[in-house]
Amino acid sequence: MNSRIELLRNRYVVEKEQIKLRKEQTDPYTLAVRMAEEKLDDLERSVRRLKYMLDAEEPVVFDDERIALLRTNPVNYEIFTEDEFSRIRETHYIHEQGKVCNINPCYSLLLDCGFRKKREEIRKLFPDFDKEPRKCAELNAFLQVMDDIEIFAGRYREAAQRAGNTEIAEMFGRIPMEKPSSFQEALQFLRLLHYCLWCSFNYHNTFGRFDQYMYSYFKADMDAGRINQEEALELLEEFFISCNKDSDLYPGMQQGDNGQSMVLGGLNIDGSESFNELSELCLQASLELRLIDPKINLRVNRSTPVSMYERGTDLTKQGLGFPQYSNDDVVIAGLKRWGYDEKDAYNYVVAACWEFIIPGCGMDIVNVNGLSFPTAVTNALKMLPSCSTFEEFLGYVKDEITKMAEELCDSVKNLYMEPSPLMSLMMKDCVENARDIAEGNKYNNFGFHGTGLSTAVDSLASVRKYVYQDKMYSARELLEMLTADYKGYESIQNMLRYEGPKMGNDDDEVDELAIKLLDWFADALEGKKNERGGIYRAGTGSAMYYVWQAQDESATPDGRNKGEEFACNYSPSLFSRLEGPVSIIKSFSKPHLERVVNGGPLTIELHDTLFRNEDSIRKVAVFVKSFMDLGGHQMQINAVNRSTMLDAKEHPENHKNLIVRVWGWSGYFVELDEVYQNQIIKRMELTV
Amino acid sequence: MNRQGTIFDIKQLAVFDGPGIRTTVFLKGCPLRCMWCHNPEGLTSRVQLMRSENGCLHCGRCRAVCRHPEECITCGTCINACPKNLIHISGHVMTSGELTERLRRDKKYLENVGGGITFSGGEPMFQPEFLLECLDGLQDMHTCIETSGYAVPELYKRIIDRLDYVIMDLKMVDEKKHRYYTGVSNQVILENLKYLKNSGKPFRIRIPVIPGVNDSPENFRETARLLTDAKMLDFVELLPYHTTAGAKYKMVGMEYRPEFDEGQQPRMDTAVFAEYDVPCRKM
Repeated sequence: MNSRIELLRNRYVVEKEQIKLRKEQTDPYTLAVRMAEEKLDDLERSVRRLKYMLDAEEPVVFDDERIALLRTNPVNYEIFTEDEFSRIRETHYIHEQGKVCNINPCYSLLLDCGFRKKREEIRKLFPDFDKEPRKCAELNAFLQVMDDIEIFAGRYREAAQRAGNTEIAEMFGRIPMEKPSSFQEALQFLRLLHYCLWCSFNYHNTFGRFDQYMYSYFKADMDAGRINQEEALELLEEFFISCNKDSDLYPGMQQGDNGQSMVLGGLNIDGSESFNELSELCLQASLELRLIDPKINLRVNRSTPVSMYERGTDLTKQGLGFPQYSNDDVVIAGLKRWGYDEKDAYNYVVAACWEFIIPGCGMDIVNVNGLSFPTAVTNALKMLPSCSTFEEFLGYVKDEITKMAEELCDSVKNLYMEPSPLMSLMMKDCVENARDIAEGNKYNNFGFHGTGLSTAVDSLASVRKYVYQDKMYSARELLEMLTADYKGYESIQNMLRYEGPKMGNDDDEVDELAIKLLDWFADALEGKKNERGGIYRAGTGSAMYYVWQAQDESATPDGRNKGEEFACNYSPSLFSRLEGPVSIIKSFSKPHLERVVNGGPLTIELHDTLFRNEDSIRKVAVFVKSFMDLGGHQMQINAVNRSTMLDAKEHPENHKNLIVRVWGWSGYFVELDEVYQNQIIKRMELTV
Repeated sequence: MNRQGTIFDIKQLAVFDGPGIRTTVFLKGCPLRCMWCHNPEGLTSRVQLMRSENGCLHCGRCRAVCRHPEECITCGTCINACPKNLIHISGHVMTSGELTERLRRDKKYLENVGGGITFSGGEPMFQPEFLLECLDGLQDMHTCIETSGYAVPELYKRIIDRLDYVIMDLKMVDEKKHRYYTGVSNQVILENLKYLKNSGKPFRIRIPVIPGVNDSPENFRETARLLTDAKMLDFVELLPYHTTAGAKYKMVGMEYRPEFDEGQQPRMDTAVFAEYDVPCRKM
């Protein structure tokens, strides 16, 4: 990075000077109260919110910036009062905060034509819908939103002029009205759209296939000699920094969980590779900047050369917790199996964490809920004393999974989401049909995480071995130990924890149980339709459920205590002593992963000394590739050093820049809640 | 394949132990007593108890269950008594057949990633017949050794002949110093080196670089001179001394007493080797 970028990085990321420019936090419901009095409908409110948010901004432009925009008002305004919203909740299913979130807009739908052309297109549609007031209202909302953004851009133009930054002033004279005329303008346009999405209270807004939809702008400037590679990198780096300016204001579960992910490369439908010079520059920018946003995902397939994995491993070495890899061979096949059109499946991206979604046409809710496999096991344990064989017991586990899956499906009734005309403008078919994305789109599938798989597998293997094979204790005795949370049975518990059979040892007999559990999960959802006509998708992720669902879960037959966390995502249990990473990837590639591609990576922590030199980095790269070659779907490896984490807990003041992977995103270690810090430290103990 | 040996670890994804991704088997027992040894559990071939002090609650449960307080017989009763799982047994006796069967499970995987099996220790040649049987059982896999080179020449030759790649230490050329810091003479090591150089096997020479002990330009020069005629030498690898070397001594009831200045940076000087056209890398 050059000295200007270093300066910007220092200003926004290290010193966080933009925070000093922010107004005070105020009541997020002030606007809702007013709109309730005016008796506005939800669409009107949504439009009004964006305008209100943009009006509340005080444009700030520095004279050394080439890509502008930052938030000065820290408040995310609600459109319903608390009373109103609790009434909506009485009759509707509300996902998270009730906003459109965690989908990937097709930014090109606005970027490639500019607002002026889009406006003309929309005006022509009014006659088609003249008998449908709600549709006309939606079309008007589209127009209004664009007007408001243009006014906001105009205010930025004036601020830029005042700051003496004519370059930015000139850009805002053209965009967003017109299509960008350069790579820089395209980046500024994208930054504007992304910024306005957050101001519409849409969150987990991913960038998706940035290297594809931005490529033509990059290429045109490069071919015409308007910029060289170095200048392109500089612009790109400034854009990456801009993703970190306001990210603390974005809603998420924890600081850092903001969903600003980016997907690079991937198979084209004709079998060719889409990784290009811009993808390459993105990797370089990320490597140089060492920032948590945007989070890089690499799409790979069986023909991906080791050199690409090496580039990824160089990035892993930085300790950022990414890239995350996804295997096109498995994911595309899985999505097609679920009924996604072939061209859409080839275009998949990763949502906020690891869920696979389709840009610009999916209104999938990929994280509706999570099915806890250990809960299925503990529910079935009641029947254990009556089971004369292990297989009989397994039958009850299967029944539990089926029952739990059905309950999860039934829980989503009468879904409601706040409309988002801005998001709708960037979703295919919404404009043409004057439909808000909140009402659904081409794909309306719901996804469920599958939590605690390894705990469940280890528990089943333990029951089989100690109750049925070795007959070390009876079913009743096991239940007694579990009810007592192993109090008074500590030495048996230790044997179970550390010597019992575990998933991750490449032991076919154990791993077969994982195959079964995931198959049953997929079977239970197969063929079911949700209220929007979509399907249900099974996954291997956990999100924060590895803590949530474990908190209330009683002791398990693998020696786990009541309340002890499960492993994060698709990973071995935290206290398992395994033969090593090769056995782990062999075990975890055995299940039929194309059936559970809602998403959720195998996560492996490698000690940072493994990244010592070029030769060892190449070997780690080969190792990652080998998981994909074995049929793995998604993987995320971390370079970690446990003693650093321990020290950071003790002396947070010395480790402000320590970045770690949490469940599907990277965050600053010292900003995490203690329960997540501790879980990460425990995970490190598996480090190899 | 019935000969028994004692191993103390099997490590997957070993990236510094030979070509490609390797699985490294650590054989227990070593005739050398290098002052800087970081694997004290590899010194004796006896099975032994390892107890970590870090995190110990001093709850006394391990002592309460102990049935042989006068002398540990590694019965393992205390292992599951420890609520923090801090006690382990180092050393696992198994037959060459059992070991090779386990290693062969990853044959295809290791082949695909251009790797194989590496025998390390301890000193793997300290259990020569067991090692030879293991190599017999792994003939169709790529095999490598990490050795001090301290072995009866006749055995050394037999073992080298069955390997695909050799990593051998040359700790010091000066015999008196070698004897002082490792407890043994290096005469047989140097004799074995001569055989290795002419064996046709690709090999790597490793120098654990210990500050003030063997990092002098003279020692590096003498080492380089020994290697100018080594056609199959891959490269010399300088392995810097690490201050965590003493970490495991307490766990096996030993004391770490280095007589050199641990705080001093080892001189990782590759230039001397370059003078002699001997390829040299730092690890």
